[in-house]
Amino acid sequence: MFDVLYSSFPYLMKGAVYTAWMSVVTIIAGSLLGVILGIFVIYGPTALRRIITGYVFVIRGIPILVLMFLTYYALPALGVNIGDYVTVCGALVIYCGAYVTEITRGAILAVPRTQFDAAKGVGMRLSQYLRLVIFPQAARMSIPPMLNNCIMMVKSTAYVSIVGVWELSYAAREVAERTLSPFQVFFGAMIIYFAICYPMAIVAQRLEKKTAYSH
Amino acid sequence: METIHQYFDLNYVIRSLPDFQIGLIWTLETGAVALVLAFVWGLALVALIMPRFWWLRGPARVYIEISRNTPLLLQIFVLYFGLPLIGLVWSAFICGVLAIAGQHGCYLADVFRGTIESISNTQREAAKALGMSRFSVMRLVILPQAILKVLPPLGNQVVLLIKDTSLVSAIGVTELTLVGKQLVEQSATTIEVFVVIALIFLVITTCAGLLMRFIEMHYRVRF
Repeated sequence: MFDVLYSSFPYLMKGAVYTAWMSVVTIIAGSLLGVILGIFVIYGPTALRRIITGYVFVIRGIPILVLMFLTYYALPALGVNIGDYVTVCGALVIYCGAYVTEITRGAILAVPRTQFDAAKGVGMRLSQYLRLVIFPQAARMSIPPMLNNCIMMVKSTAYVSIVGVWELSYAAREVAERTLSPFQVFFGAMIIYFAICYPMAIVAQRLEKKTAYSH
Repeated sequence: METIHQYFDLNYVIRSLPDFQIGLIWTLETGAVALVLAFVWGLALVALIMPRFWWLRGPARVYIEISRNTPLLLQIFVLYFGLPLIGLVWSAFICGVLAIAGQHGCYLADVFRGTIESISNTQREAAKALGMSRFSVMRLVILPQAILKVLPPLGNQVVLLIKDTSLVSAIGVTELTLVGKQLVEQSATTIEVFVVIALIFLVITTCAGLLMRFIEMHYRVRF
C-alpha cells in the first residue's frame, strides 16, 4: 500500500535536508536580527525606533510569499545576483526578524517597571540593569513564543517551492506528479515536517503551562 | 529622476489594473469564505476537545496537532491532487478554501479552548449558586467575558489567514499573487508589480486588524 512512499522516501529525505538547512540558517539569522532590533526598538534613539516599527508593521502585514516573489524578481533586476537559495533565505530572514522583534519587545516590556526602580535603587547602571535584570527574565519568557516562531519558519520554508526553489515540498510535488499517488507522497512529506515541528511544539506547550502556573 | 523611472515605472501597472481587480476579488473572496468556514470549524473542534465527548477527544487532538505542525501548502496539495482520486473533483478555489479553513480552524480551536479555560470555574459555580440555568450561565456570565478575551488573538488569526490566502496561487487560483507572477512573466517589469501587490495586502491586513480592534473597543464599552 505504501510502496510508492517507500521507494521515494530517500528522494524526499534529500529534500528534507535542504529544508532543514534552510530552516536552521534562517531561524538563527532571523532571530539574531530580531533580538537586536527588539532591543533597539525599546532603548534605541527615536529615529531608529520609528524605522524599526515601520519595518515590523510592513513585513507583518504582507504574506511571506509576496515578499519572496518581490526579492526573487527584484534583486536580479537591481543587479544583485546571489542565487535562488540565498535570495529566498534572505526573504525568510527578513520575515522572521520582524516577528522576533515583536517577541523580544513584548518580553522586555513584560518585565515589571518596579524592577527598574529597584535596580536604580541599588545603584545599577543601565547596562548592568539590562544584563543582570532584564535579559535573564525576558529570555526565559520569550522561549515559548520563539519556539512557536521556529515552527512557523519551518513551515514557511515550504513556500519557497512556489517560487521554484527545490526543497522537500518541491520534491514531494515532483514525485506526486510522476507517480500519481499524491496521498502517499504528501503524507510522507507531512510526516517529515511533523517530525521536525512537533518536538518544538511539545516543548513550547510544556513551558507555556509552567509559566502559566507560576503566576 | 531618470534613473528612478528606469527602475520604477508604474505605467505597466496602471495598464493592467483590470488584472489586479480580478486578483483582488479572488483574494477577498478566498479570505472571506475561508474565514467563515474556519470560525465554524474552530467552534466544532473546540466542542470536540471539551471533556464532554471524551471518546472523540484523542482523535480530534491528533488531527489538530498534525494540521498545526505541517505546512498549509502541503495540505492544499493533498486536497487538490488527492480528492479527485477518491472521486471528488472540486475546483482549485474550493480545495484551497477548505485547506485554509482546516488549518486555521485548528488554530482557532486552540484559541477558543484557551479562552474558555481561562475563565475561572468559580464564576460558573457562583452563577449556578444564584440559580441560573446552564443556558443563562453561558449567555450572561461566560460568553461576555469570553468574547472580550478572544478578540485580540482572533484578530491576529484573521490577519494570518488573509496572508495565507496567497498560497492558493500554487494550485492556480488567480488571486493577487498569481496575477502578479503572470504579469511579471508577461513583461519586462520586475519590481513594480509586487511592490503594488505588497501594498494592497498591507492595506487589506491593516483594515482587517483595525476592524477587529474596533469591534474589541465596542465590546469593551458595552460590558
